[in-house]
Formats: sequence, structure tokens, C-alpha cells
Amino acid sequence: MAIIIDENTKTIVQGITGANAALHTKFMLEYGTKIVGGVTPGKGGQTIEDIMVYDTMGECLREHPDATVSSVWVPARFAQDAILEAIDAGIKTVVVITERIPIHDMLYVRHNAKKKGVMVIGGNTPGVISPGKSLVGMLPKIAFQRGRIGTVARSGAITYYIANSLNLAGLGESTSVGLGGDPILGANFEDILKLFEEDNETDAVVMAGEIGGVYEELAAPYIKQMTKPVIAYITGKAAPQGKRLGHAGAIIEGNMGTAMGKIEALKSNAAIIAETLSEIPELVKKALKDKIGLKITIK
Amino acid sequence: MRLYEYEGKALFRRYKIPVPDGVVIDHHTLNELDKVIYPVVIKGQVFLGGRGKAGLVQLVQTRREAEEKIKNLIGRKHCGFIIEKVLVEKMIDIADEYYISAAIDRLEHKPLLMISRKGGVEIEEVDRADPQAILKCYFNPNETITEFQARKIATKFGLKAQLLTEAATIIFNLYKLYLGLDCKLVEINPLVKTKDERLFAIDAKVDLDEDAMFRHPELKDAGIVARHEIGELTEREKIAKSAGIPYVDLDGDIGVFPGGAGFGIAAIDLIKHYGGRPANFMDSGGAPTLGKLRIMLSLLVDNPNVKAIFGARFGGISRCDDWAKAVVQYLLENKPTKPMIMRMAGNMEVEGRKIFEQTKMAHPELFKNIKIYAYDTPIEEVIKETIRVAREIAIG
Repeated sequence: MAIIIDENTKTIVQGITGANAALHTKFMLEYGTKIVGGVTPGKGGQTIEDIMVYDTMGECLREHPDATVSSVWVPARFAQDAILEAIDAGIKTVVVITERIPIHDMLYVRHNAKKKGVMVIGGNTPGVISPGKSLVGMLPKIAFQRGRIGTVARSGAITYYIANSLNLAGLGESTSVGLGGDPILGANFEDILKLFEEDNETDAVVMAGEIGGVYEELAAPYIKQMTKPVIAYITGKAAPQGKRLGHAGAIIEGNMGTAMGKIEALKSNAAIIAETLSEIPELVKKALKDKIGLKITIK
Repeated sequence: MRLYEYEGKALFRRYKIPVPDGVVIDHHTLNELDKVIYPVVIKGQVFLGGRGKAGLVQLVQTRREAEEKIKNLIGRKHCGFIIEKVLVEKMIDIADEYYISAAIDRLEHKPLLMISRKGGVEIEEVDRADPQAILKCYFNPNETITEFQARKIATKFGLKAQLLTEAATIIFNLYKLYLGLDCKLVEINPLVKTKDERLFAIDAKVDLDEDAMFRHPELKDAGIVARHEIGELTEREKIAKSAGIPYVDLDGDIGVFPGGAGFGIAAIDLIKHYGGRPANFMDSGGAPTLGKLRIMLSLLVDNPNVKAIFGARFGGISRCDDWAKAVVQYLLENKPTKPMIMRMAGNMEVEGRKIFEQTKMAHPELFKNIKIYAYDTPIEEVIKETIRVAREIAIG
């Protein structure tokens, strides 16, 4: 049934009256996403693309109690409040498109989401797409086609190129998830890998990480426990030396964060490493043949 | 955004963390040295540590010596950063040294307050040699510290009575500053006990979250404004930085105009993987304005090392038509002749393609060396072609 969103998922757009959100509301509707309402405090009663705008998430959910996913498009300074409002109103998954959210705001959001069992994806995510079913966010639909490979990446453009590369090789995606480019994220690789592992429409997973942070390393031990193959693409091997961390940061993170460190951690936990985007489809096909003996579904 | 020691100390004063009396001197304000009581310590202001070893911290006895040494320090380079200001401080008689920091633990996703009864050396060193000296306290996000917690933590220093409560107040105020100003890091190393039993923060390391500065107008009152750290940058890097474009010069001949940061990092890997040499890293993502885009392209076109330019746009939130408009305007204004091999796909791709086609009809001469591929050409084929073109030009 794909993960996070499918053809039955009812969604809400927070900040729907902003220019970007309004444009992508149009694109999402064209794609078939079921948007039941929008929320912009102070703009209640308007409509955007025939979607009713509410002042609060509470009102919107009273009218549409079956909505489970919300996407957040508000400016960074209002993002924490919007996400907390969604969590408080009872939303199950919040997809945060907004970028450059203050770090302490995101820490607080994570803390609250965890307590309430809510999945927050992002910030600075391009969104989530289950091709042919639903799209929440701003991913370009041309990059994706329906298939049985799950993808999860930190960068938006890398998400598109991986799908592009799979599609040109005759494969497709069950769901593609953008984790987001901000330094502190809601959901991490492990959270998404767990969903793919349990998803009966996903045969293998492609994950793409990059230098900096620790999310790739943290996911490595879980990959070893998975029955489905994970192909990992890590960028930043040739990157110039990044900025030095403060002392307190260095002591906490140890040697994590380099491309080689991430690749080593993933490799030693049974992930298959891709050196280029174009070899990803071949590695996926080979892994499926080797590991499960599944017949690959070609579109 | 890292702050200079003198800026950090200005914030410490506002939060009632004791720092030695001092004055900041640059080459315009040397006469301020008349007001100082000698001996003093002079400290060159740079972001990075290791200043003691590099001779940037010196004890001076007289005004004349101070002026001479300060003139010597200003303009000197340390780890790529030029010293512009010197902090002149009252000398402190050190009896003991401690350590305090508040940071973000990215494994736990929580604020971490850390203290050590051994300070004045690198905290990593203490952690290796004597981990028992360190106390780590995790807090929930946005949770404030209470005064009794601060006292409990301060007992780790082994201080008693009045000094214990003073240390607790410093810990309390440091954590208040850390949360109150949205810091990524606040570090005092060392916190010093003087021979006459007083406590002072001798150094101040503050790293602010740039993305939260909008809600702290008080920083401006303290003279702290958003800025880019300009160290030992190339001319192109300086231009890029002052325009707010993440850009790093590399030593190759392929200009990289990649879209977002994530693919910018990947593009460098891929160019190297296929035997090419990237001339730069750049993040040209988001939705750049025409002005920014002009700077991005001219950074590559005007770089004499660049033989060919690789460009990519996968339109998500940034639309292909906006990108096409900007590239076309640059072409019309600057008529560059360097080969550009680019690929455009994603949202509003059809509209973007129309813009290129119309311009090409009107000005075919501009497009002699320009190719714009679409969705059906794998991105790595575009990279390989750019490498080929650059190589042909190099061979002549």
C-alpha cells in the first residue's frame, strides 16, 4: 500500500494562501492528491483552487476528521507553531516544506512529536510521493513512476535524480521520501527504512545521504536487520573540507559526519554502496535477484 | 554564526557572567590604550582556537609595549583569518581553571550542558585523559534550568560556600543565554578562579543559529549583525560570499552550476568519478533572483580556468521557467562564448523549454556552444559530455 501516503490519504495544506503553497496545491490536486482543506490564520473563509481555507487546524479537522497528513509551507518563523498546531489537532504525519527553521524550534517539535507518536518529515523536505497515488509537497511529478522501489534521501534534487535514474532503467518507486536538508530533522533514515521494510509494495530501498550530521550512521545497524536490500548512495567524497565544528560538537559526534565514515558504517552493516546515480538501477536489480529471487516488476 | 571573543564577552556582560575589564582596539583606536591600567593581556581576535600557541595572546607591561605588539598583531593571519581587532584585558592571577559549555547533542537531539573541573585545555583532551572530571547534563528542548539544578551541577567543580553559589549563577546565566539567544554553542574555557577567590570567564566562544537571529533584535544592540565569515578566500569566493552564494573554488576546469546544495556535492563527486576536474562547488538552488543568477554564471564564465560549464536544474519548488528566463537574460546581456552543457527537467519544464526555443530562434548565434538536455537524457551523460568538451578545448 506504499508508505506514508496513498490514494486514500486526506491531506491539509498549512499556509495554503502563500504563493508557493497555492501553486503546489494546484499541482498536487492535478496529481490526484486528496486535499480536504487549507489553513492560514486570519484568512478563514477564502478558497484556493476551490479548497476551503480555515483559520485553525482544529476547525479544519472538525470539518474533515479523516485528514491524517498535513504539509507545512509557512515562513520559518511560524513553522514551529504550525507544526505544533497540527500535532495538537491530531494529525498523524506532518510534512514540513519550510526551510531554515531555527534549531531549537525543531528540537522542541521533535520532542513533542515523539511524545504524541506523530511523524514529522523535514524541514526543508521536497515532500513525499507515492507515484500514481498521491503527492504531498513540491516534487516534480515527471521524475517519478509507479514501481516497487522505496527511496529516501536528504536532498531534494538527489531524490529526483534517483527516481529519474530508476525510471530510465524500467524500474519505479513505491514511495519516495525527502528527509530534508535542514540540520535538525524530524524523521530520520531509520524511521523511513522501518516503514519500507514492513511495506508489501516495496521490494528494495535506495537511500541517499551526504556529508555532515549523523543520520546515516544512526541508521546503519538497522539495515543489517532488514530482509530487504538497501542500496546506499553517499555524496561528498570529493567535497572540500567542511567547516570545523566547535569543541563541544566535536566531542559529541566523534568522527561521524564524513562521507567515508558513513560509507564504512553502511557497508559494514550490509548496505550495498553505489558510486554513481546511474549504477543504482543495476545494483537494485542485482540485489533483488541475489537476495530474494523476486521477479522484478518492469513497467 | 561564530562570534569573536569580544562579542561573546559583550553578551556575557548582558547576562551577568563575570569577565575581566577590557577594551577592544583596532588601528583607529590605539589611543584607548591611555585609559588602561598595566600590566594587561592582549588577545588577537580570530574565530579559531590555538591562539596561545600561535602567539596571539601576550602579556604586556607598558603602554609602549602594548602599542608595539598590537600593531604587530593587527593584519596578521591565523588559520586563514586576518586579525582586525585586539582585546586588551586586565591581567588575572589564575589559581584554578574550569570548563562550562552548553551545546546541542545531535545524537540525542537535546541540549547538553557540560562542565569539567579541569579547564584551560581542550575538552576532548580531558575526556580522553580524565573522563571523571566531566559532568554531562541533558535538558529537554526549551526546558529552562532551575537555580537548584545549577547549584547541583556546580558542586562538580569542588567549590564551597560563596564560590559555589557564584559558579552556580554563572552556569544558570550561561544556560539562560544559550536558550535565550538561540545558540548552537556557548563555551567558557577556561572559567578561572583567581588567587583572591573570584570567578571570571577568560574566554568566550558563542555560536549563534543564523536562522533564529530574526527574533533577537537585542543582538543588534550589542553590535552583532548577521555576516559571512570571510577568511582566506579567493577573489571569486569573496564575491560569492558577499552575494550570499555558497561557493568554493576548486582547481579544475569544469564550472559547476548544479541547482541545490545536495546535487552540488554529488556533481563534484560525479565529475571526478568520470575523470573530469570540477572548478568549483556551488549551491545555486532554491529560487535564485535574476541578480544572484547573474553573479553565479559570471563566477563561472569569468573564471579563466573554466573551459566548459555543466548546468542542471531539476525544478521542484524552483520552477524551470523562472530559471530559463534568468539564464536567457544572462545570455542576452553577456553573450558568453564558453560551452555550456545543461539539463533542465521538472516543474514548468515545457514553459522553460519554450523560453529557450524562442530566444534561440531570435538569436541563434548565442546558442552555438549551448546545449540544454531534457528529462530523457540521464544527468551523468550530460556530465560526461561536459568533461569531453572541456578536454577537447584543453587539447586545442
